Amino acid sequence: MKLFTTSTLLASCLMSTMSVSAITVDEVINKANHAAYYQANSGRAQVDMMITDKAGRKNKRRFTILRKDIDQKSDADQKFYILFHKPADVKNTTFMVWKHLSKADDRWLYLPALDLVKRIAASDNRTSFVGSHFYYEDVSGRGLKADKHQLLKDEKQRYVVKSTPKKPESVEFAYYVTQIDKNSFLPLKTQYFDSKGKEIRAFEALKVEKIDGYNMVTHSVMKDKISGGNTQMKYRKIQFNNSLPEQVFTERSLRKTPTKYLK
Amino acid sequence: MFKVADNLTNLAMRKPKQVFWYSAMIALAFILSVVIPSVSNMASFMHPLTIDTDPENMLSYDEPVKVFHREQKKQFSLSDMIVIGVVDNAHPQGVFNPATLNSIQDLALFAKDIAWQDKSGQQVGVIGADLMSPSTLENIEQAGPGAISFTWLMSDVPTSDADALIIRENAQNLPLFNGTLVSDDGKSIALYIPITSKDISYNVAQMLQERIDGYQGSAEFHITGMPVAQDVFGVEMFKQMAISAPMAMILIYLIMWFFFKKAVFVTSPMIVAMISVIVTMGLLVVTGNVIHIMSSMIPIFIMPIAVLDGVHILSDFYDRYPRIKDKRETLKHVMSELHKPMLFTTITTAVGFASLALTPIPPVQVFGVFVAIGVILAWFFTITMIPAYIMLMSDKSLEMHKNTAEHADIDNSLLARLLKQLGNATYGYSKAIIGIITLVAIGASYGFTLIIINDNPVKWFSPDHDIRVADKVLNERFAGTYMAYLSLHQTPTADQESTSITRLKKQLLDSQSSAQISLGNAIGNDNKASLSQTLATLITKAEQQIILIEEADVFDENALDDWEAALEALTLEQDKLAYFKDPEVLNYMAKLQQYLLETGLVGKSNSLADVVKTVHREVYSGEQKDFIIPDSSDAVAQILLTYQNSHRPQDLWHFVTPDYQKSNLWLQLKSGDNTDMQNLIERVNLFFKMNPAPKGLSHDWFGLTYINVVWQDKMVGGMAQAFIGSFILVFIMMSALFRSLLWGALAMIPLTFTIVVIYGVIGLIGKDYDMPVAVLSSLSLGLAVDYAIHFIARARELAKQYSNWQQTAKAVFAEPARAISRNVIVVGVGFMPLLVAPLVPYQTVGVFISAILLLAGIATLIILPALISMLEKHLFKKSH
Repeated sequence: MKLFTTSTLLASCLMSTMSVSAITVDEVINKANHAAYYQANSGRAQVDMMITDKAGRKNKRRFTILRKDIDQKSDADQKFYILFHKPADVKNTTFMVWKHLSKADDRWLYLPALDLVKRIAASDNRTSFVGSHFYYEDVSGRGLKADKHQLLKDEKQRYVVKSTPKKPESVEFAYYVTQIDKNSFLPLKTQYFDSKGKEIRAFEALKVEKIDGYNMVTHSVMKDKISGGNTQMKYRKIQFNNSLPEQVFTERSLRKTPTKYLK
Repeated sequence: MFKVADNLTNLAMRKPKQVFWYSAMIALAFILSVVIPSVSNMASFMHPLTIDTDPENMLSYDEPVKVFHREQKKQFSLSDMIVIGVVDNAHPQGVFNPATLNSIQDLALFAKDIAWQDKSGQQVGVIGADLMSPSTLENIEQAGPGAISFTWLMSDVPTSDADALIIRENAQNLPLFNGTLVSDDGKSIALYIPITSKDISYNVAQMLQERIDGYQGSAEFHITGMPVAQDVFGVEMFKQMAISAPMAMILIYLIMWFFFKKAVFVTSPMIVAMISVIVTMGLLVVTGNVIHIMSSMIPIFIMPIAVLDGVHILSDFYDRYPRIKDKRETLKHVMSELHKPMLFTTITTAVGFASLALTPIPPVQVFGVFVAIGVILAWFFTITMIPAYIMLMSDKSLEMHKNTAEHADIDNSLLARLLKQLGNATYGYSKAIIGIITLVAIGASYGFTLIIINDNPVKWFSPDHDIRVADKVLNERFAGTYMAYLSLHQTPTADQESTSITRLKKQLLDSQSSAQISLGNAIGNDNKASLSQTLATLITKAEQQIILIEEADVFDENALDDWEAALEALTLEQDKLAYFKDPEVLNYMAKLQQYLLETGLVGKSNSLADVVKTVHREVYSGEQKDFIIPDSSDAVAQILLTYQNSHRPQDLWHFVTPDYQKSNLWLQLKSGDNTDMQNLIERVNLFFKMNPAPKGLSHDWFGLTYINVVWQDKMVGGMAQAFIGSFILVFIMMSALFRSLLWGALAMIPLTFTIVVIYGVIGLIGKDYDMPVAVLSSLSLGLAVDYAIHFIARARELAKQYSNWQQTAKAVFAEPARAISRNVIVVGVGFMPLLVAPLVPYQTVGVFISAILLLAGIATLIILPALISMLEKHLFKKSH
């Protein structure tokens, strides 16, 4: 009897520790994906972007980004609206994305000087985001199903996940390694490697702030490890759950800026 | 001086063995001092053998044109490129078939990853991000109504011929790729492989070639590009040094053997030549000089000169020994007669080469100085080693020589009989000879005026060399493999800058806005920064201020508005400097490009205007009517923002700097000839004169093809100056040596005639006056005057024994003339092996050394005696 009790106790102990530590890699990346792209149902931020080339020359851009989740319950399709403020000659240029998990995203660009709305059809999501070192995919999120994920390390404060693309020919990297903060589940560092194991690109969160109860990366950098350039993004004037109506994210508002929601 | 030479010879004759021991030790010491630091790291204080085959280094590192070139390359992230042309003659669509495209894709992906660490731990190799290939370039096109698409030109290898054609269509539709990536006939593809530095191009080319060798199928891959040509040249150059130079030595040896019948006897000049070369090259390396294309030719220049004096001694000894029958006595006679001319020929030759130190081209300076050193060394070894060598020869071997010599009957040999007749002819027909020579000289002078100064490093290879073949194949099909860049910018003077800054300051201070006044006060009074830098600083300041106001606990709306307005005013000023967003400027560039094409000198030019027009076309109809520059700078900026949503936004910065203040046109030329580049420079100057650029923009050239023109200009000017300088110096020396201006002038005649005829022929046959040809003028000076000195010195010596020139001439045309003719033949024929060299500069040197010797010999043996006959009264006034 005593023996039995001890062993059950031991077993239950073991099981409880297992259930605490054995978070699956899917859980980690789902939570990380949520923390990085899906906090609250909508949001707004003003972004100051500084693109620095390998010679140290800087190009600055300022834009406001609006986001709205379509399905409020799951992390699925989203809509983004971007309005450029600076430099002056691209002022009022707008950019809109309808992100779809099941098919290719829709993207539009409005060029005010030409009064022209243009749909952008890219073969993949690894094109530059407005000339920066961030890819379009880095801003809108890479589909979780595009890669196989593997929990490399379970450190004191971070999870380290290695992700290997299912279609390696469609991307320029061989795999990437993400360090995810255990507390906020925000990805704090992502390094991209080539097939020889050389680091070619790296994302790093430089500052995390708690705004309206949400942890958010407010300053980040993407470094091109080959050419030596980098792009920094600073987020200001952040708002969450600002109840953006659906019509903000339409072709019509590309031309006619919904000023009300951008102030 | 003659005494020193005499003493040296006497010493050598007394201790012949020691002479050889010491010489061998000197040579060995130099060999070791080059080999040790080159193969091991032990002797780090010593200089290893370093090779530099970059014609760019014809100019020193801080030459303005090179500083500008480096600066521009950095500003526009430009790299030197290896070009691979792919041609497939077996398929009706050329390379546009699945199999060949598969190889091209494989090669591109392979090339992209070429990288390694060099000795200093630096990452070197291919710059993958800038690689131009179908797999790595962006296709921008219409994707249905209202849509523009950014896709890789060839993301997957097509599976059918029809799909392959789509790739061709897409590429040809984009002006940046048409003629550059895809050939004009749409059947070939060229890959442009940027590399971190030129000096790795041979290695990279080797790796690519290995990969290519593994491909099946009918496609041909041609590797070329200026960097490859230069690097391959270096490799081949060393093969040449190892093959041609020894071959020349062997041939010289064989001819001497033929003349003097005795192998042992003729070995001594060869030893002299070898030691002179070893010590000179040793000195060159030990003193830390690199082996450049020029310095690699030093051995070939030293050899004939080193052998020359030796042949005089041997020739004289060979003719006299049978009469005197004692080697010591014979040598004494020979040397006493030859000391003076030998020393003088050495000094004049050395002066001729040393004068190259006055040219503004470092490798030519090094070349000149070290050939001069080599010539002096050769003299030193000649007057010591050759007598010592003869002393060491057993009487028995000289006995044999005597017998053969007697048997050959010196005075009745073919050469002797010919020279005798020649001597008589120069006396009898002196006026006719001078008449003919004058006519030849006039004809040659005409040729002189036809000389085309031109060079092209690719043409340093013989026409059947892989590089030349690739060059031909590619330039027939594509826009061109020779790159030149035309940089456009506004360069205000320091005064103009300071005026603009003062004006800006005044404008800010005069405003009602406290923000602007505070910014105006931030501008210092003695401002060294440019207007553009000043604006950038002020803008950053304003931006920081705005953030401070926005984030302050108490929000001050008025202050914010004030600062926002100030920032806008500054941004407006800054935008005025962004010239290359201005449609007026872009249209001007497009006009310039059209003009460039019309000159016929440019295969194609690529610029920011092309990028703007192409994207403009694709955001509209995709048709030619929309291939235009939009009419506002905002529209230009927005078009470029669209372009930057591609996979390769960084390509934009090859054409314009991120502040849009400087731009750069990439020109592809089908010819790398300096004459074509020179021509283009003039045509572009004309364009700018006829069509003044908007915004006060000015233009500057850079790129390898342009640099070649600059150093060529310097070289030609420098060479001419150096030549004139040393010509005058040699004339003064001659007049001093013969203590007569007339004799001095006479001594310059064979040299002048040789130069005029050689360069006249170069002009007449249309051979380009290039680097090796230019350098040969010094050699002509050195060699042609040598023969004249020997001839005149000995003629004047002999004249003392005879009553008139007719009789003197007979004596001169015996032994002295034979020595000169043997020299001409030995050295002239000795350089024939260079004719089969695969490198053109070596062929040129071979042909011209032979031609110079022949001409100088003829000029000496015909013109001089004919002139002396005519001027006998004036020349021999005192002695007769």
